[in-house]
Amino acid sequence: MILRIVLAGLLCLGVTVALGWAVLERPMPVENLPERVASAMPESGVEHPITAVLLNFRSYDTLLEIAVLLVAVVVALALREAQPDQPEQMGLDNPLLRAVMAWLLPLILVVAGFLLWAGSYQPGGAFQAGSVLAAAGVLLRLAGVTTNWLDNALLMRAGLALGLLTFLGIGLLVMLPGVPFLTYPAAHAGTLILVIELTLTLSIGLTLLSLFRLTPPYADDPDDARPQEDRNL
Amino acid sequence: MIGLWSVPLLFALPLALGILSLLVVPAWRPRLIFVGLPLLAAASLDVLAGLATAGPQVYRLGDWIAPLGINLVVDGLAVGMILMTTLVATLCALYARVYLRDHPPASSFFWPLLWFLWAGMNGIWLAEDIFNLYVGLEVMGLAAVGMVALRATPQALAAAMRYLLAALLGSLAYLLGVALLYAAYGTLSMAGLHEAATNNATTQVALALIILGLLLKTALFPLHAWLPPAHGGALTPVSALLSALVIKASFYILLRLWLVLGPEVTPELTAQLLGVLGAGAVFYGGWMAWRQHHLKQLVAYSTVAQIGYLFLFFPLVTNTSPEAARLAWDGTLMMLVAHALAKAALFLSAGNLILAVGSPQISHLVGISRFRPMSLFSFGLAGVSLMGLPPSGGFTAKWLLLHSAILSGQWWWLIVLFLGGLLSAAYIFKVFRMSFREGPQIDRSVTPPLTLDVVALVLAASAILIGLFAHLPLHWLRMGSVLGMG
Repeated sequence: MILRIVLAGLLCLGVTVALGWAVLERPMPVENLPERVASAMPESGVEHPITAVLLNFRSYDTLLEIAVLLVAVVVALALREAQPDQPEQMGLDNPLLRAVMAWLLPLILVVAGFLLWAGSYQPGGAFQAGSVLAAAGVLLRLAGVTTNWLDNALLMRAGLALGLLTFLGIGLLVMLPGVPFLTYPAAHAGTLILVIELTLTLSIGLTLLSLFRLTPPYADDPDDARPQEDRNL
Repeated sequence: MIGLWSVPLLFALPLALGILSLLVVPAWRPRLIFVGLPLLAAASLDVLAGLATAGPQVYRLGDWIAPLGINLVVDGLAVGMILMTTLVATLCALYARVYLRDHPPASSFFWPLLWFLWAGMNGIWLAEDIFNLYVGLEVMGLAAVGMVALRATPQALAAAMRYLLAALLGSLAYLLGVALLYAAYGTLSMAGLHEAATNNATTQVALALIILGLLLKTALFPLHAWLPPAHGGALTPVSALLSALVIKASFYILLRLWLVLGPEVTPELTAQLLGVLGAGAVFYGGWMAWRQHHLKQLVAYSTVAQIGYLFLFFPLVTNTSPEAARLAWDGTLMMLVAHALAKAALFLSAGNLILAVGSPQISHLVGISRFRPMSLFSFGLAGVSLMGLPPSGGFTAKWLLLHSAILSGQWWWLIVLFLGGLLSAAYIFKVFRMSFREGPQIDRSVTPPLTLDVVALVLAASAILIGLFAHLPLHWLRMGSVLGMG
């Protein structure tokens, strides 16, 4: 055991030293990518370079990243379905919590909307807004608010898929004039990116929320993982 | 522009089908293959036609020029891998439609995961951007982990968890290497790296991280421990997909990067080390396969062994004559394709044998040759290619590798090719010996549906035929290659 810890420590130390060496010895890039981004900004349809890279110049990466999120939910759904028990209603049924939630919820929604909108001219965008949206859902669940509207499987799946489907659809539709995949016409790039971001926000929020909801309630605490009968022994 | 629609459809179609299969009722999910498979086959063939008429192409996504945007590369290697994927995945899907009827809970999520897996693989084959490759690896890897977990038994979940952790560690090491390369050269495009990369500390550390990450994902000995439980324990069509295609993706990335960075950067010592690890895989995997008692575990260890041959590529192309390097390229790719076909056939026919006797134990196969000659024939035909007997794809591959080893004066790899073939023969004949033996438990066998046998036979026959008609695929695979043959 001690040998393993020592070996692991040495390995970590070795990787750290190698990384430090690599970073210190690193040559200065000849290619100036930030400059290229800056000169292409007027055609991107947005004002913030990060959003332009994520949703225009390298939008294909983002498309596949959204697919990764969707795959994660599909795997979680598959594992949940394989377990015989249904998710229990979890959370504290506390009137104070509910009262606080009533104040917080509109605020959270406004923040999510702001983050989404801010993405076009400053750091922000669909991922951040979606995470905030998901946080609202998690809080609702922790406060014991019934969220039966989320249990409609088809509606939920449609919401999960909406972002990727829209992204894919727009990527293919813009090809009709005979240009490559994901080539937004410069005049409409801003609008198309906004539509994609709106749907992505919703889908990312639902994805994160689903991952939270699909976790069996007892999985957090290893002591509680055993069935009730075992614990009484 | 050639392939304007067919190139993006290669990943857009499976993504769309994956989403669609989530939205339709479970009974309709398998039926989507009747739309999806012909369309994907058409797109793959259109890309091949484009390659044959116009040569290698670069596809500029969003019409941005790399390194600002992301390029896709449509050269012989990429198209070859796409066609291999289309053929193997199509047959596995036809197999799964019948096979999964007995596994209703698993079947409802197999289909979306299959389409996402396919999209990830096609994304990797086409990628020209090293960060885009990372995203492709994640799409494919996560879908593959989900497929291993589909059986939902404690063993399957443990295997899936182990696979997930290995795959994540591999991805992160790869990503760290990509970050270092980007920091040093300011570009993620392979063409840009080919121009800019020089031999320095940063490149070497990045290369080491990338190699380690990809070796873990390819399950090269001694980093193979996650593979046998994941591949051997999964549902049969999943085992076939993972062993035939998924592990090839990380090897493919390593092969491309090795050639992109070029002989100035790639150290000969590392190349020899990769070859030695490959040799270790051939011996250890072959030995372990022979010792297994479960049929699918035997086949899974056979994959550990066969991966080893692919890594002979590195010592044979690094600082060797152009002729030796060309033969190594041909031999390695023939090995890759022949293994994909033969291993898919071997897993599917093993699955058929297990269905027939109702037990995964090799010792329960006693007397099965009387009842299931066709399943056993497919198993044997695939075994011929794995052993490297003529006239199979495995033979052609080993023949080319052998010539390359002799030309480059590295005779020691001949021992690996020869002993590896003997070890493969040992574990294949172990199964045959049992099936021809007369014993008490031969009074009953279940007849699996005909489709299952036909699919396995078609795959096994393809593994043989590709050896007989190796000229044309090898000609295509060479198109646009960095090894100075395009």
